[in-house]
Amino acid sequence: MTTASVGIVLVSHSAELAEGAAHLAAQVSGGTVTIVAAGGTDDGDLGTSAAKVERALRQADRGAGVVVLPDLGSAVLTVRAVLEDYGSAGSVLLTDAPFVEGAVAATVIAAAGGDLKAVATAAEEARHARKL
Amino acid sequence: MPANCEQEITLTGDLHARPAGALAVAAGRFASVIRVTAGGRTVDAKSVLSVMGLGATSGQDITVSAAGPDAQEAVAALVAILSEATKVGG
Repeated sequence: MTTASVGIVLVSHSAELAEGAAHLAAQVSGGTVTIVAAGGTDDGDLGTSAAKVERALRQADRGAGVVVLPDLGSAVLTVRAVLEDYGSAGSVLLTDAPFVEGAVAATVIAAAGGDLKAVATAAEEARHARKL
Repeated sequence: MPANCEQEITLTGDLHARPAGALAVAAGRFASVIRVTAGGRTVDAKSVLSVMGLGATSGQDITVSAAGPDAQEAVAALVAILSEATKVGG
């Protein structure tokens, strides 16, 4: 493939949770997609950090856009605040998706060459996937 | 030219997360509609969560079927992945 794949940003209240989900999604999808974890506050507590989210967005965008998955509702506030001042907000899609399943499903579609909309849809449709 | 193609394979390992991911990534690169059937359930091969949800295990027969312009290539590629990837588990 000649074009860059869509990047993924995982925003969690926990740095470990974000890193773990990123690691899992990378393993399942074969490691070709840029997945950036933005977890915890700037001083390492539980919470979210606008600075970490902004850095993650810039790092994840390889030209095909970025899909963002927040873990809980209040992470959405942080992401929205960052996007208000973010230069290329049009290339970022904030998704309403289950964190782990959405991260895995989105990353697999990104690895297969899916576009921004297809990757975001895969994340959101993950809520309908049955495990049993 | 649209075509249909189908092939069955017996798994040599469980269809865990990594082989399911490899299958779905490969499936997503084909234009054809691709399905996998195991244990009487059929799912979209491009959906990694659905493939994992099959819970297919070693010794089970799994059928890959495709319909579309690259159906033959798709089935060949996915059967090759299933025969390789499930050897190592994961």
